[in-house]
Amino acid sequence: MKRRYSRQKRATWTRELEDVIRGACGGFLFGVPLLYTMEVWWIGSTVAPPLMLLAIVTTWTVVFFLSRTEGFRRTASVSFGDAARDTVEAVAIGLVCTTLLLWILREVTLQTQLSEALGKVVFESVPFSLGVALSNQFLSSSPEENRGQSSQASDPAQAADLKPEISGTLADVGATLIGAIIIAFSIAPTDEIPMLAAATSEGWLLATIAVSLLISYGIVFEANFANKSKRQQQQGLFQSPLSETIMSYLISLIAAAMMLWFFQQLDFSDPAEMWLSYTVLLGLPATIGGAAGRLAI
Amino acid sequence: MSDIHSDDDTSFEDEPSNHIQPRSLAEQVSFSIAALILFTLVGFICYLWLGKGEPSSPKPVVTVKPIEEISGQFQVPFELTNQGDVTAASVQVVAELQIQGEIAETGEQQVDFLSSHETESGAFVFSQDPRKGKLIIRVASYKSP
Repeated sequence: MKRRYSRQKRATWTRELEDVIRGACGGFLFGVPLLYTMEVWWIGSTVAPPLMLLAIVTTWTVVFFLSRTEGFRRTASVSFGDAARDTVEAVAIGLVCTTLLLWILREVTLQTQLSEALGKVVFESVPFSLGVALSNQFLSSSPEENRGQSSQASDPAQAADLKPEISGTLADVGATLIGAIIIAFSIAPTDEIPMLAAATSEGWLLATIAVSLLISYGIVFEANFANKSKRQQQQGLFQSPLSETIMSYLISLIAAAMMLWFFQQLDFSDPAEMWLSYTVLLGLPATIGGAAGRLAI
Repeated sequence: MSDIHSDDDTSFEDEPSNHIQPRSLAEQVSFSIAALILFTLVGFICYLWLGKGEPSSPKPVVTVKPIEEISGQFQVPFELTNQGDVTAASVQVVAELQIQGEIAETGEQQVDFLSSHETESGAFVFSQDPRKGKLIIRVASYKSP
């Protein structure tokens, strides 16, 4: 009896964690394009405190109405109080994710003025919070559906077949490329990448790589989004979660480098460090798009 | 990985929440943390709002650092600080090097945004040694954003 209770307790903690991670991943998907928009940094730097409060209230209201119909939790929160509490969480998740990414991208540092940092975080967090509220809507399928898919895919007869392995890998590569291009193509020609590259350093580039991998892994495997069980059973070279995350990150990096070259942000005469920093910085939105793309297949 | 699978299954089992369930401890904790984050942020913004006196004008001030000679060129690093409480936009810094009473070289630099108490740094480059003449570096103009 006691064991059963502790198991139940653990399950509620796990579910809560999954809800929060799912929300965060939805936020990253929705919020990253705006994060690479310097005009929003400038608005954040100059905005007055009353307008920041207005931005929070507006976000809260919009997210509240989204939470009444959907929200980031699996359990539909229909009552007024539940939706209000979920909204507080969604906005807080958005704020934390935004602060993390602005910190990694060196737009907010210890030297940044408090008012400037708060303005940037508040304004950049608006699409993040909306993404959190919408995460269930556009990234989750019904559990029954997931279940059916997983039992179907774990058929041992399929595993022995070599052909789906190759086509499965190709489909994954294609989906990663499409997703990466959709998100990163509109960022590649802009001035934000050179600006961010100027502000970053080797240590922060490593942090950017780590965060890119974490978010990509989170979106596809941990967040219990649509088709997750199917994905974990998927055939092909991308079979284990870790290798899939790393492989798709490399594909996203190559796509990012090609897009930067295509828009003449990078030239073959440019130094290797420039290629590296530009590619890693564009690799963050590209890998988020790539992860979303793989969910779609 | 198998660990996560089993947890998923349990979460699916008690999925339908048609009957009203009390909030679990996990939900309470995450809500408390979220509320704390949100209130801290709102607190900071209110602090900024109330802590502000009468809005004054931006005060961009430029300070000149020691001159460095790099491969035959003379670099004059400068720091631009906004000592006012309001952000300044398009802050223009101009440098003028006069040698023997005549303007020998000039330089110009523009900073897009300078928040209150923010410091930006840069340098003017001259081909002649500024120590042999009179160097004037000053803020020429700015715009209210």
